[in-house]
Amino acid sequence: MWSAIDLYYRLIGAQIRAQLQYRVAFLVELIGQAMATGVWFLSLVLILQRFKSIGGWTLGEVSFLYGMVETAFGMMDMLFSGFDPGFFGRQVRRGTFDQLLLRPVDITLQVLGSEFVLRRLGRILQGAAILAVALALAEVRWTPIKLAYLPVVLASLVCFFGGLFIIGSTITFWTVESIEVVNILTYGGSEMMSYPMHIYRDWMRRFFTYIVPGIFLNYYPALFFLDKPDPFGLPPFAPFLSPVAGAGVLAAGLTFWRFGIRHYQSTGT
Amino acid sequence: MSSIIAVGDLRKHFKVYRHRRGFWGALRNLATRQYALVRAVDGVSFEIQPGELVGYLGPNGAGKSTTIKMLAGLLVPTGGDLRVDGRVPWRERRAHVARIGAVFGQRTTLWWDLPVIESLDLLQYIYRIPPERFRHNLAEFRELLELDPFLDTPVRALSLGQRMRADLCAALLHDPTLLFLDEPTIGLDVVAKERIRQFIRHINSQRGVTVLLTTHDLSDVEKLCERVMIIDRGRLLFDGALDALRERFGGQRELVVEFAELYADVAVDGAHVARQDGQQVVYRFERNAVTASELIGRLSARYRIRDLSVREPDIESTVRRIYEERLLET
Repeated sequence: MWSAIDLYYRLIGAQIRAQLQYRVAFLVELIGQAMATGVWFLSLVLILQRFKSIGGWTLGEVSFLYGMVETAFGMMDMLFSGFDPGFFGRQVRRGTFDQLLLRPVDITLQVLGSEFVLRRLGRILQGAAILAVALALAEVRWTPIKLAYLPVVLASLVCFFGGLFIIGSTITFWTVESIEVVNILTYGGSEMMSYPMHIYRDWMRRFFTYIVPGIFLNYYPALFFLDKPDPFGLPPFAPFLSPVAGAGVLAAGLTFWRFGIRHYQSTGT
Repeated sequence: MSSIIAVGDLRKHFKVYRHRRGFWGALRNLATRQYALVRAVDGVSFEIQPGELVGYLGPNGAGKSTTIKMLAGLLVPTGGDLRVDGRVPWRERRAHVARIGAVFGQRTTLWWDLPVIESLDLLQYIYRIPPERFRHNLAEFRELLELDPFLDTPVRALSLGQRMRADLCAALLHDPTLLFLDEPTIGLDVVAKERIRQFIRHINSQRGVTVLLTTHDLSDVEKLCERVMIIDRGRLLFDGALDALRERFGGQRELVVEFAELYADVAVDGAHVARQDGQQVVYRFERNAVTASELIGRLSARYRIRDLSVREPDIESTVRRIYEERLLET
């Protein structure tokens, strides 16, 4: 276990050292990210000025959803950079993945350590800023449980998106053309989860409840943090399912990943 | 002596799915997937003894890379036996790759944006190379491969030759017993090629590393290998000494004769005149049809000869002839 952590730490260290050579790219991404976040927030403000609320949710409340997703997605995008389906697909096609298989250490750890996009710090910081604004606007009534649960939900979201990334990367063993489908799940999913789930059609909401359980990672925890009633009548513990859903999707991803590697070794590309 | 690589009736078949075009084609692809079976490696058997340096030749798509990938544990065979140093490579990947080295000429194992020395330090950690062993090996390879001028340069800034030298060093730091080289001299100039060949010869003879080398450049084989294996369409066409290959398939040899005076007609049975330049005439003849001494006898009976020599065909034209004329087809 310790040797695994040590290996990961060294691989990531190498990636960070390499990236510190590109300061300009770092700054450009930081500024670009700040602008993207600013535009999103501004458009939300304009929409709410006209319609007062989105599905009954105020600016602060919707921003809470967005802030959580952005922060978690940014952290995931940094930690799981090696499993970014676009990046990983290129590694497979160029044979770089074979080079990893030629080294006598765990392959999953190596893929995790094969990329670490430090620039995602920008996205994390912007997400955290929106989250802070949201918490101030929404006037959350804090309790010790809420305080303790917030980081758990964030970590679960990271696991959830990470699991989706791993599934997406594994699919590239079979076909690279389907990357767009995977992106719909990850990027599209994070976009959808930035708004209250009850504004979507039933089939979409069911998809995000029973197939890809994203609803338990953002919407239900938000109901709990913002003291809102559950419009769908799920059991009262539904807001606390987020660690289960997050860990479950990650575990499913890793299982599929191991299966994918076996397939890859029997077919190559 | 037990062999380090033992391969018996090794097979690797791939399914290549056919894509039908257009809208209806795409629909039909979904319903029935048609595929062609590609027999990339189709019943190959050979053994390699410790300390050998073997050349593995074949045209593109012949099955060379697929074989190497199976030997390195990257691919699982469809059938047949495969043992490397007593291990079944794909079944125990990590234990296996810890004991082998591999350089795929087109790719690098080094970290693209890091200085060479930092990559090597990381590899020391990954392969758990004892520090004194690492220092000793690095010192030796730095000298032999002349790494010092670019040890602190990021890999992305290296020339192809420098990168190959750094990769060779990286593949050997953990004292592997076996080294797979896939096109190690591809794209290099003559000087760089020669340096790399010298290094390969050194690690084979001094360190006893068994080397299996695939290449397009037949001068690599001529200068390095005593034994060659030739594969085409997934089957081994030849496995034996380089000399035996020449002997069997050498095809046309050349007899260069310098006559003492100018003759108008220099034709002789069993050979044809390839070139004539004044008193010097180059004859070509089939190895199996006539011996050199018979020819020389026939010539010296009719003409006065000042000097002569016999030229063996180079390995390149030999191998090309094998491919083109499918001499070994059964």
